[in-house]
Amino acid sequence: MRSSRNVVKRPTMSHQGASGRLRYFFGRAMTNIRQNLFVNAVTVGTITLALLIVALFMLLVVNLENAAESWSERVQVTVYFDRDLASQEQADLQRRIQTLPGTAKVTWVSRDEAFRRFKMRLKGQDTLLEGVRPDILPTSFEIALKRNNRSSEAVEAYVSRLKTLPGIGEIQYGEEWVRRFNTFLTFMRLVGALVGGFLLVPVIFIVSNTIRLTIYARRDELEVMSLVGATRLFIKMPFLIEGLLQGVAGGLLSLLLLVLFYQLFLHNAGNFLTFNPASSGLAFLPVEFMVALVLAGALLGFLGSLTSLRRFMADN
Amino acid sequence: MIQFHAVSLAYQQDATALQNISCRVTKGEFVFLTGPSGAGKTTMLRLIYGALTPTRGQVLIDGQNISRYRRSQLPLLRRSIGVVFQDFKLLQNRTVFENVAITLEVLGWDRGDIGRRVMHILRQMGMESKIHLIPQRLSGGEQQRVALARALVNSPKILLADEPTGNLDDANKQQIMNIFKEANVKGTTVVVATHDRRLIEHAHYRTIRLLGGELAGHEGVGDAVIP
Ligand SMILES: Nc1ncnc2c1ncn2[C@@H]1O[C@H](COP(=O)(O)OP(=O)(O)OP(=O)(O)O)[C@@H](O)[C@H]1O
Ligand SMILES: [Mg+2]
Repeated sequence: MRSSRNVVKRPTMSHQGASGRLRYFFGRAMTNIRQNLFVNAVTVGTITLALLIVALFMLLVVNLENAAESWSERVQVTVYFDRDLASQEQADLQRRIQTLPGTAKVTWVSRDEAFRRFKMRLKGQDTLLEGVRPDILPTSFEIALKRNNRSSEAVEAYVSRLKTLPGIGEIQYGEEWVRRFNTFLTFMRLVGALVGGFLLVPVIFIVSNTIRLTIYARRDELEVMSLVGATRLFIKMPFLIEGLLQGVAGGLLSLLLLVLFYQLFLHNAGNFLTFNPASSGLAFLPVEFMVALVLAGALLGFLGSLTSLRRFMADN
Repeated sequence: MIQFHAVSLAYQQDATALQNISCRVTKGEFVFLTGPSGAGKTTMLRLIYGALTPTRGQVLIDGQNISRYRRSQLPLLRRSIGVVFQDFKLLQNRTVFENVAITLEVLGWDRGDIGRRVMHILRQMGMESKIHLIPQRLSGGEQQRVALARALVNSPKILLADEPTGNLDDANKQQIMNIFKEANVKGTTVVVATHDRRLIEHAHYRTIRLLGGELAGHEGVGDAVIP
């Protein structure tokens, strides 16, 4: 080269830097969106719908879990004895149960107390009990379990330990239905995951195709950019951002719809699930789930855009 | 600067566009590439800016075999080569200013610097009063100058121009040629593909002649043409 004058000193982007470039990419993405408003709206709508379905499932599962928890608050083990215990024996047994890991509280239920409760149950029909002697009912211990011992496995384990103590007769706890309910819960989670999984593919496909339309509309520009030396990342970036924005918009919108849906229909329903007057109605999604929903949207948009760019870049 | 070593190129299996081409363009040289329509001029230029890779043989730029380039290296090559395409490839929905600025935008230049540099080159081309127009509103000669401005705005090491005087009148041809010469004087290696005999005869530069995809001879001043 005869002179060095033509070697351009590339100006540094010192006062704009990465943020300046990011602003450029965002500007391009916004232009793309504005020029393909309808297609973008359709994509956002699709993402919204898919996420809404998944979110409704999440809402259902969350509430079922809440219900399961409030039921297990009442999980209580009742222990009867294989014979009449002397008071000393009974105090020993109570102490041993108390030291068993998982025990929160052990209460002695006397014959009188048991009879009193029975009478409460039959309120209004006490006449039925005329002539029945109060010592007909057996004495028992009522054991409340510690919080983290209330899962069905933990309860089973606890009960089998309890059985090894001397003097223990019948043990009652809600084993069967607790297990069934947990199975049901697992099933619902699985269905939710499956539905989400099945929705994932078509949604990515749709996002990918809308982005492909915007790419197609701009193919001349992309060709020129590539010919004047743009890196692949530089060319892709606005489209990735476009997909990301679509996804976030879809996520937020589905959240909004979920809130509306919840306010209109759900939050007064479902008292029957919890039996708990303090927490009437269905709960809304916890914050982590809301964040996850929006992130899932962003991921969907990003992946959709990435797959269409892959195809496009491979052809060019 | 540019070397072809026994380069052949076939677009399809049995349609060979270039056949065993060997030639060289040295640094700072001004070369015409000529031959009848379909001879392979555009194809040869495409090989230089890496839009095509040779079916056989090698293309070296600055001593580097560009078909060995990784995908990420191609942009760097293209930043050092300005191309005026036969069909201009101007973006129809962008203004003259934006069409030229794109070369600098992809380099990540800062807005202010882009503005100054683009205005400078468009002033040189006598286009400063048309910066806000879209290409459709321009005459052929004006579009040609915009394409040229886009190619030169980054002061490339190599300028490739494909049929740059296509439909121009003599005055416009002369103006375009002057811009090429000016760039060449500043050190840019210039390759102009054309079948315009008068253009070649007026300027006394070396000429590489293609015929049906084969090298048909060299004319004019030149150093060792076949390495
Ligand atoms: N994209 C392509 N696909 C297939 N064949 C092509 C393609 N481009 C060019 N060719 C063929 O390659 C040969 C050389 O074409 P090229 O464009 O290089 O010629 P040229 O010398 O530039 O002609 P012109 O002066 O008309 O521009 C021609 O026979 C043409 O048909
Ligand atoms: Mg041509």
